[in-house]
Amino acid sequence: MGRVSTPHVLLGLLAGGSRHGYELKRAHDQRLPRARPLAFGQVYATLGRLERDGLVATAGQDRASGPDRTTYALTGDGRATLDQWLSTVEPPMPYVASTLFAKVVVALLVADVERARSYLVAQRAAHTARLRELTAVKADPAATLSDVVAADFAIAHLDADLRWLHTTLGRVADWHREVHP
Amino acid sequence: MTQLQARGVVRAYGPTPALRGVTLDVAEGEIVAVTGPSGCGKSTLLHCLAGILRPDAGEVTWRGHRIDTWSEAARSRLRRTEFGVLFQFGQLVAELTAAENVALPLLLAGTGRREARTAALTWLERFGVADLADLRPGEMSGGQQQRCATARALVTEPWVLFADEPTGALDTLTGEQVLTQLVRLAREQRTAVVLVTHEPRIAAYADREIVLRDGLVDHTGLGLDVPLAGGSR
Amino acid sequence: MRPATLVRLALAGNRTDTARVVLTALSALLASLAGMAALTVLAIQTPAGEAWAESEQYRNELLREPGLRGGTAFALLMLAVPVLALAGQCARLGAPARDRRLAALRLAGATPGQVTRLAVLETGLASLLGTLAGLGVYLVGRQLLHRPDERGRLALPTDVLPSTGALVAVVLGLPVLAAAATALMLRTVTTSPLGVSRRTVRERGPRPWAGLLIGLGLASFVAVRPVAYRFDGNDAVLGWLVPLLFLAGGLAAMIGVVIGTGWISHTCGRLLHRHARGASALLAAGRLLADPWAGSRTFAALLAAVIFGAGAAVQRAYFATQDQVEREQSRLAGVAADINPFYLSTMDLVDAAVAVAMLIAAGGLIVALVEGIVARRRAYAALVATGVPRATLSGSVAWQALTPAVPAILLALTVGTMLGRGLFPSVSTGGSSTVVCDATAALCDDPATRDQYTRIVQIAEAERAIPVPLEQLAWLGAGALAAVLVTVGVGLLFLRVSTAADELRTA
Repeated sequence: MGRVSTPHVLLGLLAGGSRHGYELKRAHDQRLPRARPLAFGQVYATLGRLERDGLVATAGQDRASGPDRTTYALTGDGRATLDQWLSTVEPPMPYVASTLFAKVVVALLVADVERARSYLVAQRAAHTARLRELTAVKADPAATLSDVVAADFAIAHLDADLRWLHTTLGRVADWHREVHP
Repeated sequence: MTQLQARGVVRAYGPTPALRGVTLDVAEGEIVAVTGPSGCGKSTLLHCLAGILRPDAGEVTWRGHRIDTWSEAARSRLRRTEFGVLFQFGQLVAELTAAENVALPLLLAGTGRREARTAALTWLERFGVADLADLRPGEMSGGQQQRCATARALVTEPWVLFADEPTGALDTLTGEQVLTQLVRLAREQRTAVVLVTHEPRIAAYADREIVLRDGLVDHTGLGLDVPLAGGSR
Repeated sequence: MRPATLVRLALAGNRTDTARVVLTALSALLASLAGMAALTVLAIQTPAGEAWAESEQYRNELLREPGLRGGTAFALLMLAVPVLALAGQCARLGAPARDRRLAALRLAGATPGQVTRLAVLETGLASLLGTLAGLGVYLVGRQLLHRPDERGRLALPTDVLPSTGALVAVVLGLPVLAAAATALMLRTVTTSPLGVSRRTVRERGPRPWAGLLIGLGLASFVAVRPVAYRFDGNDAVLGWLVPLLFLAGGLAAMIGVVIGTGWISHTCGRLLHRHARGASALLAAGRLLADPWAGSRTFAALLAAVIFGAGAAVQRAYFATQDQVEREQSRLAGVAADINPFYLSTMDLVDAAVAVAMLIAAGGLIVALVEGIVARRRAYAALVATGVPRATLSGSVAWQALTPAVPAILLALTVGTMLGRGLFPSVSTGGSSTVVCDATAALCDDPATRDQYTRIVQIAEAERAIPVPLEQLAWLGAGALAAVLVTVGVGLLFLRVSTAADELRTA
């Protein structure tokens, strides 16, 4: 499975309504370009696992016509899992990047306003708190050069995360203004 | 113990509203960062808190005194003796040497020249720029100028230091050094600091962050409305 | 660079630049008019015959008597000097912005020569326009003012034309002078494309060229009389030599005083720095030390007017003493004095001219000081924000203007007085003898009886030094100081406006 948390992304894509398997793949690549594009096999393997775990259910065409044409829909469990994933703050360690990316995208494009807002607020607060911790580490007179260098590294990445977050919020807001004047 | 308070501060520049009702507290010795996107009123808030500007409405209280009702002369004295102010650039007098610049607030308070010079040299020493004492700002680098400016802001051992993007014109490493020294000396003296910045890294030096958006305090900290969900399929 | 590009770049500029060009042209016009008027007066021919014969065609004694004409020409020429000083000052209007523009051109690849050519073109063209307009005004004025009265006498020398060479010299010489001055002032910009961003302070201060120039000026003026005597009768040489001595001497003395003021500003800065107690004095000291030339440029026109006025005061004293001597001599000899009160009344005209010159100078002072304050308003606003009271800033502006003003005015008074005394060292009347008739008119008229009653009275030669006209000089100095005070007042008004917190906004 790719680094991007594929099962959750698929759950997210289904949150707006049921889709065909083929549509899911296309939507995934569209929403998360540059992530490694899913091979067909991977989508269906993931969908299979999700169905086995009771998080999605097939509807519409029967399975016999192939996963392409099959319609998938979120179950109640699936929705709960998605909610829980969206409510969890990513611990701000240096390499949050990809998961943060997926979560923000899904939150902005799929979830409702309140959910998205509370997630984003909490995530930003976690990032900022960690930044503060690391800055204090650097200012500590007992800090060694390695401590400072490592702290700098983490700070740089967290700073990048935060900037990207703010910029994305701005872009989406602009886009929304255009589409929903 | 709260030292500085703003209650519903409103301030406009002509027809443009800059602050639309800001409320905040700063405790003694606390370092507070004021952040937000450009144009959100951060600098205006700083000017109102420091007594440089009078708010159009609302209150600014310092140690129990309503400083927004004071005369210009009284507020000027306040800025001279109890507050310190630091800008991004352009605050050193170009024709005076570093030592004379740092000594200026003391001279204004009536200290003799010799004493003032001694104090100035001590403070320049604390910032590691004592060897620049007899140079003029035009002969120093940006980082050195900001160190001298910070020394000047702290020389009267103020209760509150107001810093408006002090590292804005400096590169990362120099800015970090200046800010580290500023924070260390402020903590030593238990001087509160109100730090305006738009950079998360700089805000991280503070104990607490206040985010402004469109002239109001944004408690979410996002600085923006979260747009409606449900992108197109 | 193609000429079209050159002109286009030279014309680029904002409102301040336009103001500068217009003022330069105006000053050139006025200066050329003064020069041409002086030349005209000098061009009046002495009629053939005695060396000191009067030119009868003029009403005004100033123009009739050869002895007085020199003085008149001198006065007219000296009137040009404050105008020239004002021109030099206006040339600095908006100069920092222009220098930055030129430095930017240098960074973009222009050579120092090209950049100099640009600025010189602007000044030179503006001055040329001014002098050509001046020539036009002069020629037209000659026709219009040519009004002989019932006796065929003229009020102004509108029947004489200076030699073409002299006119061309004025019309072309002034622009050339202006261009040379601009080229000199641009030295710092053209040598470094970075302009004046970082500059090590010249702790040395201005050097003593001032004394040299003042000495030259004095020597020039002292030489006028001996030269006039030596070439007496040789009008061709006198026609250009005497004006040259006047012009060169006057300019040298004035430039010397201006440079001397730079030295004075620097020294005042140093003294103030050492003994300053308060913050305003310290700020003023810093400013004076950092830029002493700003001080001298500001005062240039005023000091020129003061020099001129001091010289005129000496001239007035000369006439007064001469008057006095003649009265005394006549009284000693028992003869009714044949006094002409005319000299003293014309001095009133001269004093009026001095007052006008000082007004022009005060205008220039205000322009320079206000420009300085407005240009530094960001720095002032930041100071006010950090808690420096406006009163301290006002005080520093006042210190900075007044401290060098007092010694500079004293210097100008001294130099002007010495110039005057160089020209008029002492009053000397030659001996003369008159025939006096002691009886009634009837007996005197009758040739038969006249000889009994007539006697010849010898009036001895007399030589007397001219006293220094201290009272007049004091009034002059007070007037100049008042002009400086008024300027400081206006400057402080602008300071109040310029230090509003709005200036702090970087957006």
